[in-house]
Amino acid sequence: MARSSLDKKFDQIREKEESKTISSKKRSRIISKFVNNKLAVFGLIVFTIILLATILAPLLSPYDPMRVDLRSMRLPPSFAHWFGTDNTGRDVFTRVLFGGRVSIFIGLGSAILSALVGIVVGCYAGYRGGWTDVIALRISEIFMSFPQIILVLLLVSITGQSLFNLMAIFILTGWGGMYRLARARMLSLREEEYVQALRSFGLSTFTICYKHMLPNALSPIMVNITLSTAMFILTEAGLSFLGLGVPLNIPTWGNILNVAQDILVLQNYWWMWGPVGIVISVFVLCVNFIGDGLRDSTDPSQQG
Amino acid sequence: MLLIISFLVYLGLELAPGDAVSHMISPELASTITAEQLNAMREAYGLNQSFITRYWLWLTSMIQGDMGYSMAGGVAISEIMVKTIPATLELSIVALIFSTIIGCTLGIISALKRGSGTDNSLTVAGMAGVSIPEFFFGLVAILLFAIELKWLPVGGRLLPHYETVWDRIPNIVLPSLVLAIMMTAGAMRYARSSMLDVLAKEFITTARSKGMPEWRINIFHGFRVALTPVVVLIGFRLPLLIGGSTIIEQVYQWPGIGSMFIRSVRASDYPLVMTISLMYVFVVLTASLIIDVLTALIDPRVRLGKE
Amino acid sequence: MSKNDDIALSVRNLKTFFYTNNRCNKAVNGVSFDVKKGKTLCIVGESGCGKSVTASTIMQLLPTLSRIEEGEIIFNKDNKKINIEKLEKNGKEMRAIRGSDIAMIFQDPMTALNPVYTVGFQISENLKYHTNLNKKQIREKCISLLSDMGIPLPEKRVDEYPHSYSGGMRQRAMIAMAMACNPKILIADEPTTALDVTIQAQIFELMDKLKKENETAIILITHDMGVVAELADNVAVMYMGNIVEAGTADDVLRRPTHPYTKALLESVPVLGRGKDQEINPIKGSTPDPYNRPIGCQFAPRCNWQTESCDVIPEIQQINETHQIRCHKHEQFFEKYHEKRNT
Repeated sequence: MARSSLDKKFDQIREKEESKTISSKKRSRIISKFVNNKLAVFGLIVFTIILLATILAPLLSPYDPMRVDLRSMRLPPSFAHWFGTDNTGRDVFTRVLFGGRVSIFIGLGSAILSALVGIVVGCYAGYRGGWTDVIALRISEIFMSFPQIILVLLLVSITGQSLFNLMAIFILTGWGGMYRLARARMLSLREEEYVQALRSFGLSTFTICYKHMLPNALSPIMVNITLSTAMFILTEAGLSFLGLGVPLNIPTWGNILNVAQDILVLQNYWWMWGPVGIVISVFVLCVNFIGDGLRDSTDPSQQG
Repeated sequence: MLLIISFLVYLGLELAPGDAVSHMISPELASTITAEQLNAMREAYGLNQSFITRYWLWLTSMIQGDMGYSMAGGVAISEIMVKTIPATLELSIVALIFSTIIGCTLGIISALKRGSGTDNSLTVAGMAGVSIPEFFFGLVAILLFAIELKWLPVGGRLLPHYETVWDRIPNIVLPSLVLAIMMTAGAMRYARSSMLDVLAKEFITTARSKGMPEWRINIFHGFRVALTPVVVLIGFRLPLLIGGSTIIEQVYQWPGIGSMFIRSVRASDYPLVMTISLMYVFVVLTASLIIDVLTALIDPRVRLGKE
Repeated sequence: MSKNDDIALSVRNLKTFFYTNNRCNKAVNGVSFDVKKGKTLCIVGESGCGKSVTASTIMQLLPTLSRIEEGEIIFNKDNKKINIEKLEKNGKEMRAIRGSDIAMIFQDPMTALNPVYTVGFQISENLKYHTNLNKKQIREKCISLLSDMGIPLPEKRVDEYPHSYSGGMRQRAMIAMAMACNPKILIADEPTTALDVTIQAQIFELMDKLKKENETAIILITHDMGVVAELADNVAVMYMGNIVEAGTADDVLRRPTHPYTKALLESVPVLGRGKDQEINPIKGSTPDPYNRPIGCQFAPRCNWQTESCDVIPEIQQINETHQIRCHKHEQFFEKYHEKRNT
């Protein structure tokens, strides 16, 4: 039989084992799996870089993102303007940095807040059952019957555009996912014996729910938050691109892309929209890598 | 469910500025009509009746096809629907078929070659597919294929000189492809993980112990069982497809109901906004019904109910 | 001469190693036995001792991250000897053997049967690939197989799905599937562990019947000594990848010589002896497969361990049929049987 590459690998492992050079590590399995996941680590690093860049925006750029400078309109990238300037002379790089603050804030903030709402409702409703559960379930079903963008657009048309409105709408449309997750966990954990034991000790619903059962559901929650962040950032970008998200006076990544609706800009001034798009893509990709890495390392059914 | 939502939608309509009557009459009439006539109309239409009665009237007329008028152009909403829905359907169905077939195939290949270079690159490509904003992808595609390379048209759906179906194909290529990217990535990931799950099951070993060739095991025993969760999961993503088509239609100037919706939002054209939303919900609910039926067809376990 | 004719399968010094998690697990570490035609060989042992792996190895059904390191598996097909370990894992030759010459049934029939295909379809697959029967003939054969296995209303049942069968019926269906091409060897991997005790008896009756009618050699893998007592013609006791004692059922059960075998027999509660009977669990626990003891694997748990047990004992013959791997067996043999006889 031919010696394949797999065979050679096996031979190596066998030699190592027989010469006892394999050490048994005591590191936490979760962390070591994460670290071994090269994509996740890469994602974490780049994510942190972009995040820090946006937070430290004022330090990194001398320009004011809002200041109009009609003398330097539509300049291509140069040493003075790393991403060039836009239609009204504003430095694109600065706008990307400051825009990042808003976009990330919206994305991460909405994800965390909607998770909070979803968890609180899910834990309580799932644990208690009865009418609370049924009502909450029906409400979340109603929200889930809409395609998300449609619902968001619908609500935007009613409430008008503003940063706050947008986040509120995101939270409103997003809590359902986390709610279902928390609820499912609660339903399965509720029947476990240690919950019965806790109840017999006389602990209140609140304590049982939040202090004891929640930690067991933590890992899928973390994964869900990262993936929600990705989704919200993309949705915000799409809405602002259409001009229907954050008002145009506040720079966000999507807003900056708004100019690309003009075909002239698309063709001739690639620096006004290209780099932003790439930054969004890279950032969301990193978030997805991290989320996937978290999921792989905390999922007990995955084999090494 | 639909009833509840239609109720909420009607509530929204009520709360929005403007009156039911002003929505029901075309603007041509509105300029000449007097206050008494308006009131008379209100009486006639029963607008002075209770909320519930009015809701009932609206609902019944909606079902019969009379959806009222759009505030912006005064065009009957039903007319708008008829004009734009086929366009969106074209786009969505093409994207759905394409993404399901390609996504599942790639997912299966990925699962069978688990851990190899092919698998890893496909997985990363898939993640890139869900990370890149679809409209950005659309813009880049326009720039590259339509403007620079001039292979495909920039947008729009029909031009006056189009005669046959074949003429229209170049127009549909870019938007449906871009729309499909996101769905393909999702389908690929689900197909892969579902296949991996199934391939680890005991009946695969049983099949192998009967001496069947690997390819047959993978497809007939592997994929056939993996199909059920994939279908369900793709069904869950259908709302995303419908939503995504909205933005893509805007980017490519595709005259579908999505771009119409955006236009109506921008113009605060509430009747149109509400009605189209209701229609979207209808589509989503119908789609999940179809998925349920499909699942029962594929998986005999589902047919007999819970076991 | 006649002795060799009797042997359906011969395993010599088989070693199968697993390579998961970048570690090397010597799951089967030098196993040899013969399987005689028309006889049942029971392989007994605790979970994790390597008995299922041995079965998978014979069928070449090992997972990707493992391989046959050494040894021979010689299948006696119509007086021709085929070395199974030399065949390509999923190649044409091996696949021709699997299912038609050597067949296997698994522990849990619910998970071992494909839920989306009818039982008839799954049985017919076996026939399709190994015989030249046409569709009608295949269907008839399926029905007759199901009725042979004792399933009522086979014409109706053949078109039903596994989930509408009861547990015992599913296992019968699996046996029907395995026996479809009249294999020379049937490997049963803990076939009744997932079933009720009453069903267990029926299944074993069925297997016994098959053995007698078709001269099928049966390899029965189990951890239940009671089953061994019922069905075995020959017994092999496995521990941590080695056969520590082997012989006829009479040899091993009446004159157990290896400390492990003795301990196993003594630790089983006997129905009827009352609640005050002595149950002697084996001290210690099975070692971590990655951290094995040097030498005799059972030494840390053995009551008679000495220094010489640092070396793996060779196979020694007690008599013509009875083999053992133990340094001290001679002393035990006499001592133990003295004790019993007095």
